[in-house]
Amino acid sequence: MRTGEPYFAQTGAGAPAGQTGADLPPWGETRIVGKPLPRVDGYERASGTAVYVRDMALPGMLHGAIVRCPHANARVKNVDVSKAEKMPGVRAVITGQTPAAKIPWYSGDKGPTSWLFDAHCRHEGEEVAAVAADTPEQAQDAARAVSVEYEVLPFVVDHEKALEAGAPAVQEGGNRFGEPSVYQRGDVAAGFAAADAVIENTYHTPTVFHTAMEVHGSVVQWDGDRLTVWDTTQGVFNRRIELAQIFKMPLSSIRVVSLYMGGGFGSKLEVGKYTVIAALFARMTNRPVKIFLSREETFLCAGNRPANRIWLKAGVKKDGTLTALEARFSGPAGAYPSWDALSSYQISDLYLCPNVRTEEQNVFINAGKARPMRAPGFPACSWALEQTMDQLAAKLAMDPVELRLKNIPTVSQIEKNIPYTTTGLRQCIAEGAKTFGWSEARRGSRGDGHVRRGTGMAAGMWGWAGEPSAIVIVKLLADGSVNLNMGASDIGTGTKTVMAMVVSEELGVPLEKIAIEHADTATTQYAPDSGGSQITLVCAPAVRAAAAAVKAELLSLAAAELSQPAAALRLRDGAVEQTADGKRVPIADLKSLGERQLLIGVGRRAPHPAGKTALPFVAQFAEVEVNTRTGAVKVLRMVAAHDSGRAMSPLTYKNQVIGGFAQGLGLAISEQRVMDRQTGKVVNANWHDYKIPTALDVPTSHTCLPIDLHDTECNTTGAKGLGEPATIPSAAAIANAVCNAIGVRFFDGPITPARVLETLARKGA
Amino acid sequence: MISNFAYVRARSVAEAVKALGTKGARLHAGGTDLMGCMRDGIFEAQKVVSISGLKELKGVSARPDGGVKIGALTTIADIAADASLAGKYAVLTQAAAEVASPQLREQGTIGGNLCQRPRCWYFRGDFHCARKGGDMCYAAEGENQYHAILGGERCFYVHPSDTAVALVALQAGLTVAGPSGTKTVKVENFFVGPDKDILRENILAPDEIITAIVLPPIAGSVRSSYRKIRARRAWDFALASVGIVLQYEQETVSKARIVLGGVAPYPWRAAAAEKLLVGKKPDSAVAAAAAQAATEGADPLRDNGYKVEMVKGAVEESILALA
Repeated sequence: MRTGEPYFAQTGAGAPAGQTGADLPPWGETRIVGKPLPRVDGYERASGTAVYVRDMALPGMLHGAIVRCPHANARVKNVDVSKAEKMPGVRAVITGQTPAAKIPWYSGDKGPTSWLFDAHCRHEGEEVAAVAADTPEQAQDAARAVSVEYEVLPFVVDHEKALEAGAPAVQEGGNRFGEPSVYQRGDVAAGFAAADAVIENTYHTPTVFHTAMEVHGSVVQWDGDRLTVWDTTQGVFNRRIELAQIFKMPLSSIRVVSLYMGGGFGSKLEVGKYTVIAALFARMTNRPVKIFLSREETFLCAGNRPANRIWLKAGVKKDGTLTALEARFSGPAGAYPSWDALSSYQISDLYLCPNVRTEEQNVFINAGKARPMRAPGFPACSWALEQTMDQLAAKLAMDPVELRLKNIPTVSQIEKNIPYTTTGLRQCIAEGAKTFGWSEARRGSRGDGHVRRGTGMAAGMWGWAGEPSAIVIVKLLADGSVNLNMGASDIGTGTKTVMAMVVSEELGVPLEKIAIEHADTATTQYAPDSGGSQITLVCAPAVRAAAAAVKAELLSLAAAELSQPAAALRLRDGAVEQTADGKRVPIADLKSLGERQLLIGVGRRAPHPAGKTALPFVAQFAEVEVNTRTGAVKVLRMVAAHDSGRAMSPLTYKNQVIGGFAQGLGLAISEQRVMDRQTGKVVNANWHDYKIPTALDVPTSHTCLPIDLHDTECNTTGAKGLGEPATIPSAAAIANAVCNAIGVRFFDGPITPARVLETLARKGA
Repeated sequence: MISNFAYVRARSVAEAVKALGTKGARLHAGGTDLMGCMRDGIFEAQKVVSISGLKELKGVSARPDGGVKIGALTTIADIAADASLAGKYAVLTQAAAEVASPQLREQGTIGGNLCQRPRCWYFRGDFHCARKGGDMCYAAEGENQYHAILGGERCFYVHPSDTAVALVALQAGLTVAGPSGTKTVKVENFFVGPDKDILRENILAPDEIITAIVLPPIAGSVRSSYRKIRARRAWDFALASVGIVLQYEQETVSKARIVLGGVAPYPWRAAAAEKLLVGKKPDSAVAAAAAQAATEGADPLRDNGYKVEMVKGAVEESILALA
């Protein structure tokens, strides 16, 4: 990830303190925030009454299906839709020849590199044509009836082979996507010369998929020149910007809505071709149009976390002080310019080290484009860095926890040594180790049969402080109930719950009296994407500011009506309470509120504190059992210690941590995209052959240990990000535990039974 | 998405057999594999003939000879939980419990479990492979980490059924109904290897139906078990599995059946390993020798050599656990 990028927007820049909450003191003892309260939409989500986009059916709605290229690299010679057009129920067909479909796509630094329907399909699954029909079945049958003639071209799907001389060129300019991105400080040669021990290895992590429970899709409707899109997206406002650019429309004419979301993990941070195709069909047929991808299509065309090859060299002094870190990263962007998914950030910033040099090179291959996935680049970086730390510790005969504790920074070295607002890295490692029983476990027996036990840990950090931009409106109605109006999507993380808790904390209104309007560009205000672990720390302060503004106005009305100084009043359980004697007047009984009918507070996210950076930290610990005869790795228990600032909602916090660890477990032992070397096609593009962990694979014991440092310098709620840190070190901790169990280090993942047995056989030979 | 098809709900086995006699007809029992194959376009079905309503094909019952009859529509979940099978036929109940996921075990039937199509990712994927009438096996030189180390020829799929392994180990038989009446066949002789016919996995004609599984009586001291190793602990087929049935006279093994799953196009009898156990007390040396013999003849492809070690580990663990 490139660093030092300007923030996208600063909705609170120059705003009065009353709007950003800059004048609000930190919360003292809280009554709602930090309490283990259930999700505000838990019933809807669990009972099936929540209406997801997939569930929508509008009158007259058509269904679209997309014809996809079955080859890894091919030129479309001819598309024959004559048969499909005559099929029952078919209303419209689009191909690359359709004038309205001539839409540029996949922009890089030098502009677009492709089209909505590109005559050169550079990966399996690329869009070739589309069909709209009365039913999904008719659309699918007609899509199958579209006859496409291809000129099949040579392909390359291995990112290391793509850089070899003579490899087929994925893009006309060659297979290097951009220049290598280099970061450097100090003098690594001098650092290695000063080292007492050096470890140098090459690591590989697999390409893995987001596999959100909800697949991707949209329902689209035109009303004259106005476009409404119900979308499975992590952010309605950025999708609106993208659609406005594609259709050359004013922002005000586009409405994007995403009320319930079934997960994204980064794969729903860009507008889908399916959305634009549905919009084209809707325009052509004057009907609402729905297009959803199949599960299999999402494996080919909805992004992935690309494989990493990481060469890493580290030097350390006898006392455990790091002297130099040098790394080279490469990985496949897919066939088109994508989010720069490599990240050496932690190598440059997690531990104190004066001499660092990193280089990152993204590579084009004939595969679906990468998208950001839960901490883009960070879990792979952890895999290499944290395994290296363990190897250094072994070389020094030092405990891995102790080695890490010797190298804790208090400033951000990658940001020219500006301080962190808070850093709980030391506490995460030390308190996590204590809770895990690290010292005892490391001294304990690993077993002497063919089933061995081992323990491992890894630390980590996330490198994005968020886009400090959100505008929130809180409305207090005459009966004391509240509308919370905010733009953010709740992609399953519990955003609505956290924000409602903030309102309840400020206004003393019970959660069940707070109705939430959100993720709708027509009715709510700007919020950034729900990604990058930013929504709580970006939106919650704006929510607090908006609620505080309502509170101030309400208390001043109550003070006048009750002839009490406002300072002598507080809001509790839906009532105005006199602090001194506990005398209560229900909010709904305030005449002055009845007269006004409505109090409105507007909150804006303040800019980040100048000259500092606010980032979350983590240390995770795992105990594993490895069967050396069958190769099976089982994680028995884990402890996750997180400094994500204040734990706003302990239950959803724990959800995030358990889910993040499970995703890291998949990366560590079972998940990987497998591409057929003969055809360049993905052989495991389905939920059976692609092995995400099941309920029986995750450990039975999860301990979530929030290091509850309230980062009130970061924002007025004291929260930092959590979603991404939860998965950053998990795979590395498991790999370290496996090594501790059987004495064999796995530089390449995932650590499948096959890899365990093959590696043991090689060692034995 | 499934293409259109005609649907027949048979009221008797005879009616089902008759309905299956037309071209493009497919039998539906639990449907867990049929629907997936149709959705993924593995084969077309013009007509689906469902026997799921035939109560006479459901349930576990004792036979006069002391054996057990299991109706072909008995669900995998019912077999896994059947108290009358639990001790004597542990290899079968354990195998049933290891199938797929709770939802699939509730829906899937024992007859259907034996008739599953291969799970090879080329066969199931967008590849016109030899088993689908194409001219090559993509796995032979392709991504073959999950493929056969034994019995593969021209096609290297591994048979996906857990219960088949157990039934071969138990020397079970099948009752098959067809246009000319019923016949019985040993489960061991039910499967067809790719060397014999690359387009089918068993002997059933399109209009034949398994109606029951017959387990022979078990006399004396018999211990059995099923061990399955997979990439994850639920909803997954075997990387390798082993079903073992050992008859004991005091501490000595008098008869042994060792059958491997996940390594061959049909349940693979490890005859050399069986022979090694007979007449011996299965101590660790004997178990190791039997494990070594279990994969005799294995001829791994590029990426599946690990299965040889995995089978050895599973066989050795299983023998010692039963001792």
